[in-house]
Amino acid sequence: MTTASVLWLCASQELVLAMRARATQIFALVFAALALAVSASGYILSGGSGVQDFARTATSLTELVLFVVPMMALLVGTTAFSPDQGAAELLFSQPVARRTLMWGRLLGLFAALVAAQAIGFGVSGLVIFSQSGQDGLASFLLLGAASVALTAVSLSAAALIAGGSAGRRRARALAIALCVWFVAVVLYDLVALGLASLLRSGPASRLLITATLANPVDAVRTGVLLGIQGTSAFGSASLALLRFTGGTTRAALLIVAGVMVWIVVPALAAARRLERADI
Amino acid sequence: MITFRRFTKTFAAQPAVRDLSLEIAGGEAVALLGPNGSGKTTTLKAAAGLIRPTSGDVLIGEPGVTARDPRARRALSFLPQRVAFPESLTGREVIDFYRRLRGVEPAAADAALTLASLNGSSNRAISTYSGGMVQRLGLAVALLPSSPVMLLDEPTAALDPDGLCAFYSVIEHRKAAGQTILFTSHQLGDAERLADRFAILVEGTLAALLTARELGDRLASRGVLRLRIENAPADLFDRLRRLSPGATRAGDQWIVPGPAGSRPAVVDLVRESGASILGLTAEEGRLDVFYRDLVGGRS
Repeated sequence: MTTASVLWLCASQELVLAMRARATQIFALVFAALALAVSASGYILSGGSGVQDFARTATSLTELVLFVVPMMALLVGTTAFSPDQGAAELLFSQPVARRTLMWGRLLGLFAALVAAQAIGFGVSGLVIFSQSGQDGLASFLLLGAASVALTAVSLSAAALIAGGSAGRRRARALAIALCVWFVAVVLYDLVALGLASLLRSGPASRLLITATLANPVDAVRTGVLLGIQGTSAFGSASLALLRFTGGTTRAALLIVAGVMVWIVVPALAAARRLERADI
Repeated sequence: MITFRRFTKTFAAQPAVRDLSLEIAGGEAVALLGPNGSGKTTTLKAAAGLIRPTSGDVLIGEPGVTARDPRARRALSFLPQRVAFPESLTGREVIDFYRRLRGVEPAAADAALTLASLNGSSNRAISTYSGGMVQRLGLAVALLPSSPVMLLDEPTAALDPDGLCAFYSVIEHRKAAGQTILFTSHQLGDAERLADRFAILVEGTLAALLTARELGDRLASRGVLRLRIENAPADLFDRLRRLSPGATRAGDQWIVPGPAGSRPAVVDLVRESGASILGLTAEEGRLDVFYRDLVGGRS
């Protein structure tokens, strides 16, 4: 069997498994419901009513995406990459390189989670389009792309965290995945801003720039805000990054490059870890 | 066909297998026997390329390729001890996945399902299978390719009588066709029925490597005759101990260890003394007793 056909076989098997999994189905439903709720209730706080346009919905949905998508991808990915002991033993005793099996499964999981998000974005997108027209559609699509990028980053991280774990070690891998999510999504910004407040302006800026690029969730947030609202919505870290790069195009390229590194490097490390693991 | 060359595996400074050297020729069936934690599964998993030796080599095929190499795994099928599959898949989906992964023709899937007696239930979700059916599905996956080497980890542990029958029939057929088989078992019956040789692991070390006949002799010498005796003369027990020095008694129960061939002489001695035999049972040697003797012999 060629590597491409093994990749295809594993990806399609993983896609079927993920689509049949209750967790993926619930994620698709909840994501669609939240996206609909956000688009339908955006004007309530300002005393209005009706469905928001694409740009406002994208802005409102950004924090939800940054919060929910990494958690879901980390949990689904870690569970899939740390199967039952007997399943792992049977799979990895086949005459196929472990890294090929891993890449195939990664592709399948990615396709399944992107499909689940597409349902959420698609349903709310259809409602917005029917009620408010296509104004700001690019912002909405940018958020969709950011969500896809976060899914890829989180699945790569999940593959690295699980890295050959099977059976009893699955619980430990899941606990690590939750810790990674909490640090990246909740704790990281607080610590970075806290440390920066203790420093003088120059070192503080450098710390915040590094912090933005070092955490893919922050990098994606900065990229989305830059694309949707320009610099008006920027916090101190993002403004520091913008000053450092000297323009929005360079900042966007740096963010894209940073996110690509966060997709590729953990996945390569996961493949290497899996090759060396005792199953 | 399978070569362990000074194979050692250590988990967190705890040796699981120590310095194992064993050669298994093509077409041979070897049973790995030993108590729990003796290193049987570790040995089998090393042959399947699932674990990396701490030192030494495990080679598959002729000329030998290291077991971690996918080329080596092309030559073997492995059935894990407690096989598991995603519960949302059907049996046929599982078989089809592994069939395509191994590049086996579609007809082999039906044949494997039939051999594992799963043809009628192959379109059901695995969540509806019993433990025995899941194990039989694992066996069907292992039987898909006609690979030269089969590695089976306690293959009969979860099988019901029907599954056992199907298993023996398939494995005996594969053995007759020249397949090399390395398997672990706690069932002496499996081992005796299938194996040409017995590798006995105790505390991670190869304690004995025996042919079927040699194992039979060793076990026979560890048999026990239990007698319930009444009206025994005072000197009968001493005379009995001259025949079997390990003889013991508790009340009217007399326990006389020794091979099956020595038992008629014991019964004759008791009868000639004028004592009455109220009951008599004979037990053949048990593997666990044999393992204990091997540990005692080593220490």
